[in-house]
Amino acid sequence: MKQTPFHKLTPRAIRVWQLGNAVGNLFFFGIPAVYAAIFGMEGFHFWVVSVTSGIIFTLWVLSIVLFPYLSWKNWRYAVDEKEIDLKRGVIVKTRTLIPLSRVQHVDTRQGPLLRWYNLASVTISTAATTHEIPALDAQIADRVRNQISTYARLAEEDV
Amino acid sequence: MSEFQRQHPVAAISAALGLIRGNLIPIILFLFVGTQREEFPFVWWIAGGFGFLLILGTLNWWRFLYRIEDGELQIKRGLFVRKNLYLTKDRIQVIDITSGVIQRMFGLVKLDIQTAGSTSREASIEAITMEKATEINRILRETAIESDQPETTEAGMPEEEKKIFELPAKELLIAASTSGSFGIALSILATLFSQIEPIISESELFEYLFGLLPSQTDFLLILSVIIVFVVFAWLLSFFSTLFSYGNFRLEVKEKELVISRGIFEKKRLTVPYNRIQAVHVAEGMIRQPLGYASVHLESAGYGDDRGTGSIVLFPLVHRTEILNLLDDVLPDYKKKHEGIKPPKRAARRYMIRSAFLITATTALLYYILSLNNWIWIIPALSVYWGWLKYKDTAAAWSDDIMLLRSRAFSRTTAYIKKNRVQDISYSQSWIQRYRGLCTVQVHVASGDQGKSFAVRDLEQQDGFLLIREIKGEADIYEEFSGLTEPEQLIPLPGWP
Repeated sequence: MKQTPFHKLTPRAIRVWQLGNAVGNLFFFGIPAVYAAIFGMEGFHFWVVSVTSGIIFTLWVLSIVLFPYLSWKNWRYAVDEKEIDLKRGVIVKTRTLIPLSRVQHVDTRQGPLLRWYNLASVTISTAATTHEIPALDAQIADRVRNQISTYARLAEEDV
Repeated sequence: MSEFQRQHPVAAISAALGLIRGNLIPIILFLFVGTQREEFPFVWWIAGGFGFLLILGTLNWWRFLYRIEDGELQIKRGLFVRKNLYLTKDRIQVIDITSGVIQRMFGLVKLDIQTAGSTSREASIEAITMEKATEINRILRETAIESDQPETTEAGMPEEEKKIFELPAKELLIAASTSGSFGIALSILATLFSQIEPIISESELFEYLFGLLPSQTDFLLILSVIIVFVVFAWLLSFFSTLFSYGNFRLEVKEKELVISRGIFEKKRLTVPYNRIQAVHVAEGMIRQPLGYASVHLESAGYGDDRGTGSIVLFPLVHRTEILNLLDDVLPDYKKKHEGIKPPKRAARRYMIRSAFLITATTALLYYILSLNNWIWIIPALSVYWGWLKYKDTAAAWSDDIMLLRSRAFSRTTAYIKKNRVQDISYSQSWIQRYRGLCTVQVHVASGDQGKSFAVRDLEQQDGFLLIREIKGEADIYEEFSGLTEPEQLIPLPGWP
């Protein structure tokens, strides 16, 4: 019996996510900061601020050191002539199948961070939902996009 | 009809009213803030506000132009940002002619155009004469039908066969009194109350009312406030349902369903069969014990004003009649199946999931507010609620239909055409992996968005079975092969 033809994301994805999380999750330090600004740092409030800061700091470090790696390790995608198969998730593992006849459009996207690393994401839209394969090598992303759009045209049916 | 023209000027009024309806809460807030000032009378605020909206409405009317050119409806609209909408005849799904209260006062109609895209809500002509509406309808319709099926729609054909269903007065009353919009009404009331509260708490009326109540504890006071709220919310939802589902009428035609409803504001919806994605039957918590349910449709590309595609196919039907109704409306759906249920070991998860937050909150409130012991009824009920959810979850399939049943508050039984499924997901949290369970979720198109149906905590391999059903002719890879047929089958959907 054939195995599902799964591919992994490029390992460079880890670096991109690490950078993204390092900057993006700084925002959460605002929560204890705002709390301290409102209630001050006396007695009970000191403990609230330091415990939340501690938790947020730990999560921030984990979101750089561990989570991107785990996320990359669990990501798989497969495209064949009939369907797209996406597998992802660390704590909750999800597998999504999208019949190609349901694909309305597919495009590649590149934010500044992704462009810096020569990566791109592929976005697949159906009449109901939008799915993303994040952080593929830009050339591969183009190839996957073209592949999906060719197959989708072949599988065309009405909505 | 090649010149651009304006709508009937009444459109300005209906646009102004539309603005009021769309911004009700800010307007109420504004009025309350505004009327605190003594030197400026209340009436002036209202008159001024309405005048302002009327000017906006008039500008809207002035800037809205439409014409029909080569069987294409062209609309130019927008005050500052001009929008040009070009709706070609073969993209137009449905043209609906309706009339609200304002339109009927002036003998006018509203023209709604439904396409598969999200722009369709912008392409409605608010107020035009009946003759113009029918002419537009004729021009756009005949070409559309021609391209659809050239041979069968010649003039002189006999009236197409149709069945008509209406909602009897008794059922309408039951529907209104058990309406699900109860919760919404309650939240609207609560919002209103929070606005009015500072005013009435100062008034003598309020003190007088409290004087009437027998001397009581705080508990009784809270209870009586809650009861008054509930009664008002119930009345609100009773009348809103009564008005919106009065004169309900479902016409089953050869190619489409026509649903019309409403006592003051008449609404009419046409749904072609080929746009129907799924049907679901909802048995509300109050309606189910009485043996009643409501039937809904998911349709692609359009639905109600809010952009969701859930359409009420029939507001209230007795459980013994559901299958007959579905047979008449959707004869090609297979209704009865043998289905699977989550295994016994999943029951605990259902109950914990339902009761956990509620119990924690109750315990916290009990501790902080030192509440009466009776409050523990609520967590007990939530455990029962979890049990109900477990008991009602089921799934079944046949050649072209998938049936998913689950419960949030109402028990929802969905019939989904397999080839209408947009995607199917199989997920496992780490506890589910440990327990060998999984959750399966299916998306169908509904309006501009999607709607999902899910069954939780199925046996792992039953989840794979469901996925394999959706895969159809796609390659079956290793993990989907060699699945054994499920053992314990139950008859679904369980209505006589």
